[in-house]
Amino acid sequence: MRLLTALWALPVLGGFAALGWRKDPRGAALGFSVLVLLACALPLLRLDALSSLSEAGPVWAWGIRYRLGVDGLSLALCGLTAFLTVISILGSWKQEFSPGYWAAFLFLEGALMGVFLARDVFFFYIFWEAVLIPMFFIIGLWGSEGRRHAAIKFFLFTFFGSVFLLLGLLALVTRHHQTTGVWTWDMDALRGGASGPAALATFAAVMIGFAVKVPVVPLHTWLPDAHTEAPAAGSVMLAGVLLKMGVYGIVRVALPAFPELSRSLLPWLGACAAINVIYGALCAMAQTDLKRLVAYSSVAHLGFCLLGVFSRTPEGLAGGSLQLINHGLTTGALFLMVGFLYERSHRRGIADFGELAGRAPWLAFFFGFSVFASIGLPGLNGFVGEFMSLAGMTRVLPSLAVAGVAGVTMAAAYLLPAYQAVFWGAAGPEAASARVTDLDSRERGLLWSLSLLMLLIGLCPGPWLRLVSGAAAAAVLP
Amino acid sequence: MNPLLQFPFVGLGPQLCLGAGLLAALAAGMSQRLPRGFLRAVVLFVLASSTLLAGLTVPGAYGPLIRIDGLGVSWQFLFYLGAVPYALSLAEDEVPAALALGSVLGMALLAVSGNLLMLFIGLEFMSLPAYLLVSRGGGRSGQAEEAAVKYFFAGGLAGALFLLGMALYYAATKSLALVGAAGTMAEAGVALMGVAALFKLGAVPLHFWLPDAYEAASPELAGLMSTSMKSAGLLLLLRLLALTPSSEFAACLPALGALTAVVGAISALRQERLQRLLAYSSIAHAGNLVLGAGAWAAQGALPAGTAPLFFYLASYAFMSNGAFAFLRASGIGSRAELKGYALRAPLKAALFAALLLALAGIPPTAGFLAKLLIFWEAVKAGLWAPVAGAGLAALLSLGYYLGLIRDMYFEESRAPSKTPIEVSAAFSGVVWACAVPAAVLGLAPWLVGGLAGWLAP
Repeated sequence: MRLLTALWALPVLGGFAALGWRKDPRGAALGFSVLVLLACALPLLRLDALSSLSEAGPVWAWGIRYRLGVDGLSLALCGLTAFLTVISILGSWKQEFSPGYWAAFLFLEGALMGVFLARDVFFFYIFWEAVLIPMFFIIGLWGSEGRRHAAIKFFLFTFFGSVFLLLGLLALVTRHHQTTGVWTWDMDALRGGASGPAALATFAAVMIGFAVKVPVVPLHTWLPDAHTEAPAAGSVMLAGVLLKMGVYGIVRVALPAFPELSRSLLPWLGACAAINVIYGALCAMAQTDLKRLVAYSSVAHLGFCLLGVFSRTPEGLAGGSLQLINHGLTTGALFLMVGFLYERSHRRGIADFGELAGRAPWLAFFFGFSVFASIGLPGLNGFVGEFMSLAGMTRVLPSLAVAGVAGVTMAAAYLLPAYQAVFWGAAGPEAASARVTDLDSRERGLLWSLSLLMLLIGLCPGPWLRLVSGAAAAAVLP
Repeated sequence: MNPLLQFPFVGLGPQLCLGAGLLAALAAGMSQRLPRGFLRAVVLFVLASSTLLAGLTVPGAYGPLIRIDGLGVSWQFLFYLGAVPYALSLAEDEVPAALALGSVLGMALLAVSGNLLMLFIGLEFMSLPAYLLVSRGGGRSGQAEEAAVKYFFAGGLAGALFLLGMALYYAATKSLALVGAAGTMAEAGVALMGVAALFKLGAVPLHFWLPDAYEAASPELAGLMSTSMKSAGLLLLLRLLALTPSSEFAACLPALGALTAVVGAISALRQERLQRLLAYSSIAHAGNLVLGAGAWAAQGALPAGTAPLFFYLASYAFMSNGAFAFLRASGIGSRAELKGYALRAPLKAALFAALLLALAGIPPTAGFLAKLLIFWEAVKAGLWAPVAGAGLAALLSLGYYLGLIRDMYFEESRAPSKTPIEVSAAFSGVVWACAVPAAVLGLAPWLVGGLAGWLAP
């Protein structure tokens, strides 16, 4: 059975089903997304043989070959994608959307799966770009007031990065041909130690392509707009999965292809990551809009992932990779809850709320839970990922790890006051708190599943780390 | 080999078929009572049989003037394919049918010429009917005439340059045959003739006639001009480059192509009329083609190397014809009328969006693979700066392609105003037939790979 092909083809099929089945597009979308989630669990049964699980077609032309593969890292990210898609669909269950909305989420899921499964750079790039199209429509059609501008900005910025990425990949493939005489786009074959000025330019192009997606400051300006204007479920997918593509690309393509350069440029790369942590935190502190605050916190959190990954140590790679999953869960939960608030009150400002803990105790509980997970409280998932990322960076460049630790403190400094103001602080005369009702059972169920996963990873990180660490280390370390 | 196949007339099957079709169309004009759609059927039949005959021709030299090779045969497919939407638009009037067939005949002659003189005849045969067709276009009073005159003078200048270049070439080589040449004078001659080809392609700074001509023409005529005629212009350029692949003229082409792509994309950003916008977009695409031609020449001008250019033209034939056919099928002429179109006609809007994404070169559309292959050829030739320029143009082009999608999907619907374009329901089929291949051909690189193998002798 072509399981890996099914993992991306099934959601695409589901997208068409949602478009075509006029009776209940929402139900079709949910059915397919649950099916995909279950299919994601199948490779887990063969975890010992995971790295050898791959599917390949014949060589098409110029070494382009349809090849999918899965390892712990890919599988974890595929699982995250499938899980958050189900959450997104259920999270917007009560809203009246056209069939296109539900279909767009499934198309998005299919493209994301393809990104994480592709082992051929050509197909990787195809899926990478294909992600943009459904997301563009999700933001532009179903977002809030500034959606038109945000959608175009999102597309243009990320396409800007993609042009660099494409040129870099072309140079990589052409260079491989010049040295070996073989045309190949295979990721494993393209690993190697290129150096010199040409390699530096290629590395820079590939890194810019990935950095826009992460996003690395100063290429991050599309993110706050896109996250804020997207519908709640769109923000969940954006922050939860789309940003992970950038870090995943760095781990899967950029670092393996340029081992020498990524080692010698470590101070520069690490500094970029540290700037992300600090700058994202500072920006988050200044926000008055709850959704924008969470968006900027993503910039900071992705900086931790990069700190771990750029350290090129086993701990750092494991922590950075696990942090991808963690961030997907916590930020997904936060965006979901901001969305619930917006659904009820049509407000997003921190000052628009107050005294919510009494009115909506469940919301206050889950929000607090996710905030603590996001800050990195020991016992919850964020701690494991951030700790190990920083531990990895400490081994190679302790000064940058110190900057990272400062970032952890700053996370508390921007999340806790906002949480306090919204749920415990006094409500102003203009506050919309009165319109906020507590979560219903559907919403509680979604947040329970997210929160339990956060707790599970936090209390028992071993299996999760084993899942991603071997794969990340095998991908990057020689 | 069957001796009959060596007979020149068999080699010229498509051309003879087109000529017969031309005469048949003129004869049909004399008849008073013809069944409706007769002309359309004749032209479609002629195009289909020409395609078939072109596939049957045997490569080789047929006398001093005619030479049939894989390049010429494959390009003939492009000419006939690109002309199909225009043929579908034909009504009772026989003049456009005859003119269009004459123009395609010129292209077909250009494809099989083994001699500069034949190339010139093909070029002029192709261009003269096009001037007349543009002058017959609708639009504001005088607009079509003005555009046609502009087009005519630009074309006349191109023809004169071609003749001058041919004279220089003849002086240098004492021959007009299409065989390799060396020497400054021959290179200068080729450069002058190449400028004529760049005129036809609409490369900057020789593009000034193009937006007016495309805007004045009917949408389907603009489709024909942007696909078949551009293919012919590129074929002319390739034939000339093959004479002196390492000349200075060839070395200029990549930079010129990148410049064309950037200028075309920037100009298109500010357009309100859709047909004019698509005209500038076709200039941007021509820039990529010129870049590809330069990269091809830089790599030795091998026949197999034309496969990426063929794929680009073939996918562009779908994308451009589809986009112009959409204008005809929807009756929309300006961006303001496009606003909220997705709510009024979801299916047509989705098809147009797919075409726009293909034009923009977003994976997995055909436009993506086409751009990728051109860029790749240029990277192989080490042309980094032009590739970066063309990449910038691709980014800029998103500004208007995405802008159109935004107009259709994200803006409020408003009542459609009085449209200058007459709506034709039959063209919905053309939009379908173009949008689907444009959307999925990007996943078929093996097609191009096979083609490259077939083009290599």
